[in-house]
Amino acid sequence: MSIEVEIGHEVSRPTGLRPVITLKSSEFRRTREQGWLELEGLIAAAERRGIRALAPDALARLPQLYRSALSSLSVARAIALDRQLLLYLENLSLRAYLAIYSPRTGLGEAGLHFLRAFPAAVRQARWHCLISFLAFAVGVIAGFALTAGDEGWFATLVPAGLAGGRGAASSREALLNGEIFAPWPGAAVSIGIVANFLFSHNTIVGILAFSLGLAVGVPTLVLIAYQGVILGAFLALHYDRGLTVDFVAWIAIHGVTEISAILLCGAAGLVVAQKILFPDRYSRMDSLATHGRQAAEIAVGAILMLFVAAILEGGLRQLVASTPWRFAIAAATGIGWLAYLGLMRAAERER
Amino acid sequence: MSSTDVADRILRRGWRARREIITPEGVPLVVELAEYSERAIALAIDLVLWLCASLALLAVLLFFAVHGMSGVVLIAVLMLIAFFLRNLYFIHFELSHHGATPGKRIVGIRVTDRRGGPLKASAVIARNLTRELEVFIPAGILISVPAGSASGIQWGYVLVVGWLVCFVALMFMNRDRMRAGDVIAGTMVIALPRRHLLADLVEARAHFAFADRHLRAYGTRELQVLEDLLRRADAGEAPELLRDVCDRICRKIGWTQPVAPADTALFLRDFYTAQRAFLEREQLFGRARADKFEAARKRE
Repeated sequence: MSIEVEIGHEVSRPTGLRPVITLKSSEFRRTREQGWLELEGLIAAAERRGIRALAPDALARLPQLYRSALSSLSVARAIALDRQLLLYLENLSLRAYLAIYSPRTGLGEAGLHFLRAFPAAVRQARWHCLISFLAFAVGVIAGFALTAGDEGWFATLVPAGLAGGRGAASSREALLNGEIFAPWPGAAVSIGIVANFLFSHNTIVGILAFSLGLAVGVPTLVLIAYQGVILGAFLALHYDRGLTVDFVAWIAIHGVTEISAILLCGAAGLVVAQKILFPDRYSRMDSLATHGRQAAEIAVGAILMLFVAAILEGGLRQLVASTPWRFAIAAATGIGWLAYLGLMRAAERER
Repeated sequence: MSSTDVADRILRRGWRARREIITPEGVPLVVELAEYSERAIALAIDLVLWLCASLALLAVLLFFAVHGMSGVVLIAVLMLIAFFLRNLYFIHFELSHHGATPGKRIVGIRVTDRRGGPLKASAVIARNLTRELEVFIPAGILISVPAGSASGIQWGYVLVVGWLVCFVALMFMNRDRMRAGDVIAGTMVIALPRRHLLADLVEARAHFAFADRHLRAYGTRELQVLEDLLRRADAGEAPELLRDVCDRICRKIGWTQPVAPADTALFLRDFYTAQRAFLEREQLFGRARADKFEAARKRE
C-alpha cells in the first residue's frame, strides 16, 4: 500500500503542502472501471431485448467481461473497503451470472427438447412404470373377480358418477346400444369432452397419483390399484353379459392412451416417493430438486397424453362403431406410444 | 461472507432474507430472496395480462365460428384456451427473458437456480407446469363443479380447498420461500435491484494530514457508515449531522486542531480517505478491524 503521507505529521494544513494519498483500491477501480461499465451496458441490453439481440462480437465479449467482473469482485472483497463498490460489483456479477446462465432456448426449442426429454424420463423410470402397472393389474384382477362372482359388488366398487346408471340391473341390450354402440352425440358434446379434459376424472386421478408421491407413494399405489378395480368391475359386468370383446374394444380405443397416461402419472409419483425415502448422498430437498424434474416431465407428458386420449374419446370413439376398427385404432395408438417412448432415444443420438 | 456485511445491519436494516449461491466459476454471490408481497404482485400482473389475452382469443373464436355451442361447452373451451395460453405465457417469458415474466420484470424479481448452476429449460417448464397442479386445476375444479346438493360434493370442496391451502402454506414453511414448483425444479425467486456505480469518495489531494495514531480508533463498520453519510451529504441531506459527526470524530481520535464550519465536509472526506487507506493497508497485512471495538482491542 503506497501511502505517501508524512507519518507523524499531525498539523493540519488547509492550504500549502498537500500530501498525496494513493489507495490501492482506488487504483484498482480506475483500471477496471471501463470493463464493468461495458459489461453493465451489455447486460442492460440483454435484459431489455433478450440475449439473442446482442451483436455477435458483444456476445463474444460477454463471458470475458463476466469473468473479469467476478475476479474484480474477489479482489475487491480482499482489498477494498468501499461499501458502495462492493455492493455494485456484487450486483453486477449477479446480473451477469443471470444473463449468462439463463436458458437460451425459445419456446419452440423447449418444446422439441421436451419431446425428447419425456421418453428419456419415462425410460429412466421403467421400474416405477412396472410397479405402477402391477398395482393396476392387481386392481383389475381383484375388481373382476369380486364383481364376476357377485354383481352386487359393482355398486360398491364403482362410484355412482362413473357408473352412469350402469350396474347389476343393466341388460345386455342397454349396454350394447346405450353405451358401446351408442350413437355419436354430436360435435358440441365431443368438443366439450375434449375441452373439459383438464377437469375430467382421469386427469384428476393422474394429478393426484403424481402429487401423492409426496406422501411417500403408498396413496399413489392405492389410487392406481383402485382405478384397476373400477376397470375390473366394468369388465366383469360386460363379461357376464357376453360383451367382453366389444367392451374391450370400446375401452381400448382411448384407454390404451388414457390408462398408460395414468400409469405414467403413478410412476412419476413413485419417482418422487423414492427420492424422498432414499435420498442417497443428498439431502431430501436436493434429491427432490435433482430428480423432481424427471418426475415432472413424466407427469406433464402424461397429462398431454390424456389430452390425446380425450380427443380419441370425444371425437373418435362413438364415430367408429365397429369393434375391429376400434381394435385397430387402439393397436395403432399403442404401437405409436411404445415406439415413441421406447425409440426416441435413437433420434436423440443422431443429433 | 464478504466484508460488505460489516455495516449491513446499520445501513440496510437487512429487511430481505439473504442466501449465498456459488456460481459455476466458484465465486460465492449473495442473493436476496423476493418478498411474498413482490411475488404476489408479479403474479397478479401476469394473471391480468393472461386473462386479457384469453378473453381476446375467445372473442375472436366467438366472432368467427361455432354458434351452436351451449354455455357449458363454451366455458370448457375457454378453460382449455386459458390453460394453453397460461402455460405458454409463463414458460415463454421465463425462458427468453432471463427467468422473468413481464410481471416479475416490473416488480424486479427473477427465477434462478437454487444452487447457482445454470437455469435449465427443463426447470422452467417443471416449475411452471407444477403451478397447474398447485393452484389452477384445483381452482378450476372449484369453479367448474356445480355447487350440488349432495353431501359428496361438499366433501370434494373441502378436499380441494385443503389442497390449495396446503400448497400455499408450503411457501411459508420453508426458509427459501419455495412453492412446490420451485422445490421440484430446484429453483428460487430472488429480488434483483439494479445498482449504479457511484463516484469514489477518495480525495487524492488531502488538506488535512492524519497520522496513524489518529486512525486506530475506528474499524470497517464505522468507515462504511461514514461513507454512507458522505454520500447522503453529497445528495444534500443532513448538513448539521455532518458537523455533529465531525465533532465526535475529533473528540474520539484526539484531533486538537479546530475545524472551521466551512471545512467540515472537507475534513470528513479527508478523514474518510486516510481512514480507508489505513484500514485497507492493515487488512492487507492480515489485521482487519471489523469495528471500533475490535480496533480498540488491537490497539492494546
